[in-house]
Amino acid sequence: MKPELDKNILIFLLSSVGLIVLPHIYHIPAAVFGFFGLLFSWRFIGIWKQKWLPNKPVIFIAVVCGIALLYNQHQGLFGRDAGTQLFIIALGLKLMEIKTERDLYLITYFAFIVAASQFLYEQSILMTAYILLICCVLLATLVYINSGKAQTLSAIKTAVIITVQALPIALALFILFPRIDAPKWMLLNDPHQARAGLSDSMEPGSISDLGGSDELVFRVKFASAIPPPRLRYWRGPVLTYTDGKRWTQIAFQKPMRSPVVTGRAYQYKLLMEPQDKNWIFALDMPVEIPSPLTISSAYQLSAVDRSDNRTEYDLISYTDYNTGPINLGEYKTATQLPSEPSDKIKQLVAQLHGFDSAPDNFINRLLNHFRVEDFHYTLTPPLIEENPIENFLFKTRYGFCSHYASAFVYLMRVAHIPARVVTGYQGGELNKAGDFLEIRQADAHAWAEVWLNDKGWVRVDPTAAIAPERIEQSSSIDWHTTYGIAAANVPAYNWLKQARQLWGKVDYNWQRWVINYDNKSQANFLSSFGINDLKTLTYWMIAVIASITAVLCWFLLYHKSKSADKVLSSYNRFCKKLVKHGLIRNAGEGAKDYAERVKTKLPAQTADIDQITAVFIKLRFGRIVTGEDLQSLKRLVDLFRA
Amino acid sequence: MKLTERFRLSRFVAGEKAIDTPVTLNHRRIFILPTLRGLGFVLLIALLLLIAFVYNNNLTYMLAFLLASVFFVTILHSYKALAGLVVQKGRSKAVFAGEAAGFDIHINNPTDLQRQQLQVTQQDSQRLVIQAQGAAHITLYSITQKRGWHTAGTVTLSSTYPLGLFRAWSPIRFGLKALVYPKPALIEIPFPQISLAGAQQGFNQKRGDDFQGLQAYQSGDSIKHIHWKAFAKGLGVFSKQYAGEQSIEEIRLDYDQAPGHSIEERLSQLCRWVVDAEQAGITYSFALPGLKLPPDNGLAHYQKCLEALALF
Repeated sequence: MKPELDKNILIFLLSSVGLIVLPHIYHIPAAVFGFFGLLFSWRFIGIWKQKWLPNKPVIFIAVVCGIALLYNQHQGLFGRDAGTQLFIIALGLKLMEIKTERDLYLITYFAFIVAASQFLYEQSILMTAYILLICCVLLATLVYINSGKAQTLSAIKTAVIITVQALPIALALFILFPRIDAPKWMLLNDPHQARAGLSDSMEPGSISDLGGSDELVFRVKFASAIPPPRLRYWRGPVLTYTDGKRWTQIAFQKPMRSPVVTGRAYQYKLLMEPQDKNWIFALDMPVEIPSPLTISSAYQLSAVDRSDNRTEYDLISYTDYNTGPINLGEYKTATQLPSEPSDKIKQLVAQLHGFDSAPDNFINRLLNHFRVEDFHYTLTPPLIEENPIENFLFKTRYGFCSHYASAFVYLMRVAHIPARVVTGYQGGELNKAGDFLEIRQADAHAWAEVWLNDKGWVRVDPTAAIAPERIEQSSSIDWHTTYGIAAANVPAYNWLKQARQLWGKVDYNWQRWVINYDNKSQANFLSSFGINDLKTLTYWMIAVIASITAVLCWFLLYHKSKSADKVLSSYNRFCKKLVKHGLIRNAGEGAKDYAERVKTKLPAQTADIDQITAVFIKLRFGRIVTGEDLQSLKRLVDLFRA
Repeated sequence: MKLTERFRLSRFVAGEKAIDTPVTLNHRRIFILPTLRGLGFVLLIALLLLIAFVYNNNLTYMLAFLLASVFFVTILHSYKALAGLVVQKGRSKAVFAGEAAGFDIHINNPTDLQRQQLQVTQQDSQRLVIQAQGAAHITLYSITQKRGWHTAGTVTLSSTYPLGLFRAWSPIRFGLKALVYPKPALIEIPFPQISLAGAQQGFNQKRGDDFQGLQAYQSGDSIKHIHWKAFAKGLGVFSKQYAGEQSIEEIRLDYDQAPGHSIEERLSQLCRWVVDAEQAGITYSFALPGLKLPPDNGLAHYQKCLEALALF
C-alpha cells in the first residue's frame, strides 16, 4: 500500500530542511550552497508543478555535477568541511527523488546529520536553541507522516511534547555518559586545512571570531619553581612591520647581543606538539639555547625544520632581563608607520601626553585610557574593513588581544616610542597530576613590546588592562568568555547593561558546563557524587534512567483515561455494595449476566439494578455518550441500597 | 497465566486464545518492536555519536542523546496508541464459497485520546482514525475457499504512531466464524425430473421457450439465459426470462439425484438447484443423507437447506 504523498508533508519537510541548511551559508563554499539552493528551489516549485521535476537522466546529471563539485572543492570525503558538504549535497540530490515514505525518512535522517554538523562550527546557545527547534519540526514531519488525519498544529504539538519528555533522559545521558578522548588516528584532518595555530602575520580587523580550540600546543615541565601566571608569556613571532591593517615579521637577522639577565633562572623542558611551523615558544626571555635551535634578533626561537613528531627541548629563561640599546636600523623599523597618522589619533596621543611626557607616563595613561573608557574584551568582535586601528579606538571598541596590542603599538609609534607586536601564548594550565603546564591553542595571545632607554625592550600587555582575568587566571575557559567578565567591569547603570552581564554569565556557564564538559570536568563533577569508576557510573545511569522512565510512565500511562475509569469505578462501587450478599462479579462476566444473577437474589431492587446496568452498558459500549449519563450513573449508584 | 504460557512466542503473532467477550487492549496484549525505519534511526544515532566522539563535540553528543531519548520515549507513545481500546466482535454473514466473508469488528475508544492511523489487518488491512470517546465499526473481508465454517483467524490492530519508529500491534483472536455454503455449480442442469404429488406425470421439466422479456441478472440465473448481446454492448448483465419457468410448482431436490463425481460436486449442484428454485419461487423439498426437509420455500427454508449443505 503506497500512501499518497501529501503536499503539506513536503512543504513541512522542505521548510525544515531549508532552515537546517541555512546557517551553513557561512561555512560552506558559495558553489556548494548555490548548488543546494538550486536543487532545493527546484523541488519546492515541484510541489505545485509536478511536471517540472527532473526525470532520471537529469537526476543522473545532477548527481555527476554534485560529485564533480565535491571533488573540485575538497578531493576527499572525510573531515569536517568535506563531510558537511557531502551531506548537504546528498540531501539536495535526495530531495529530487521523493517517491515513497522511505525517501521522506531518509531525508529527515540526513537533515539530522546536517543539523549536527552545524555544531561543529558554532556552539552558541542561540544556535543550539535554533537547531533544537528545527529538530522538533523534523520530528513533527515524522508525526505528520504517521497520522491518519494530519493536522499541522497537532503534529507540531505532539513533536514538542515528545521532545520535552525526552529531555530529562537526554540530560541524564549527557551528564553521565562517559567521555573519552578520541584516539589520534580518528582525528580527521582536512587535507587543505592548516592546523590551527599562530600565523606569521596578524590582521585584527579581519577576524571576527577567534575560535580558541582546546588543542594542545606544548607542555612545559619546570625543574623547580613554576613562574606565576602573570609572567607566563611564551614568545613567538615578533611582528614589526605594518601597512595599517596587517602586521608582519621582518626577515631574520643574527641577534645583535644577548640580554643582560638578573634574578632567578627558570630551567625547563619544553615538549612541542607537532606544528605547522618551526617556531618554538620559549618563556620570555630565553637565554640558554640548545644547539639545533636558532634565535632571531627579536629573540624568537625556531627549529631548523618543522616536525611532525613531538620534540623536547631543554631551555633556560630569565623573566628579569635588559636587552640594552638598539641601533638605528632597529629604531627605524620599530617606529615605522604606514602613513601620516590622522588628526584624531594625534589628538588622542596629545591628550594622553604622548608628545610631552616620559614614555613611562604615556604608557600608563594609555593603559588607563583603555581601562576607564568604554572598551570591551570579546572574542567575537565586529569586522572592521577600513582603518582598523582608528575605527577600533573610536568606534567599535570591541576586540581581543590583537586589537589592543596593535592599537597600543601604533599609538606608541605615533609618539615616536619604538614598539612592536609580539605574538605567542600566555598562561597555560597547571596539570596537577603531572605538575606541568599545558599550553593550548586557546591560550594564543598578542602583546606589545616597547623599547625604553636603559631598560631595553619591555613587555607591555594592554589586554591585561582591559581584561586582567585573562592574564591572572590563565585558564582556557576564561579565554572563551572574558567578554562577560569584561562587561562586568563597566558600571551597570541601566537594565540593558545588566541584561548583557546576565547574558555574559549565562554564556560563561554554557561554555563551562556544556561546551567544555569533557572527561576531566566530568570526572570532577561526578566524583562529588561519589562516582569514581565505570561500575558505579553504570549503576547510576541505570538508576537515573529507570526513575525518569517510571515518572514518565506514570505521567503518560496512568494519568490518562480518566472518564473511562470514572464509569468503571462507579460501576465497581455498585458491585462492592453487592459483595455483602455474596454476589461477586466474576472476571469476564458481562454486566447483563451479573444483573440477572443479582436480580434473582434481590428481586425487590430489580428496577434499580436494571437502570444502573443499562446506563453502564450505554456508557461503556454505546455510540452516543453524554456527560449526563455519567452523572446519572453516579447518582444511581449513590442512591442504591442493597 | 502460567509462566510458560506467558512466554509463548505465538502470542506475538496469533494472540491469546480465542474469546467472545470484548477485549480491552493492555500491556498483556500489546507488543512493540522497532520498525526498519526505527533501526535506521538507531543507525543515525550511532553516526551522530561517532561524529561527537571524533570531534569531541558536546552539542552533537547532546543531539544524539536527545534523539536516543526520543526513540526511547516513543515506545511509551506507541503503547499509548493502542492501549485502552476495546475491541468487540460483531456479526458475520454467510457466503458462498469463493466469495469474501465479511467480519464486523467494533472498536471503541473510551479514552480522551484520539487514535491516529490504526491499522486493522486480517487478510487485507484497513486504516482508520478513531476520535477521543469515539468508536469505529469496520468489516474485514477474507476470501473463502471451502464450504463449512470459515474462521476469521487473527485480527491484528497495529499502529506506527507517532514517529513510525516502532510498530505496536495486538493480535486478537475472536471466535469469529462465517458459514460458507458450497459454491453453486456453474453448469446448468435441469431440475430433477420427478416431481412430488400434485405435479403432473410426464410434465416436461424443460424450461419453456416463450420469451417474455429481460430482467437484471441475479446470482443463480443460468448462464445460458444471459443476454450476451446486451452484455457485449456494455449494457450490463441481463437474463432472458421465459414463460415456461412459471410452470414448475414443486420439485424435490435430493442428494441421491444430484449428478457429480464427488460429494463436493453433488453438493455444489444441489446448491445451485436450491438457489435457482428459490429464485424462481418454486416450492422445493430437500433431502440429504440423514436429513429431510419438507417442501417449502422462503428465506428460512432456503437458509436451512444451504446450512445443511455447508455443514454436510
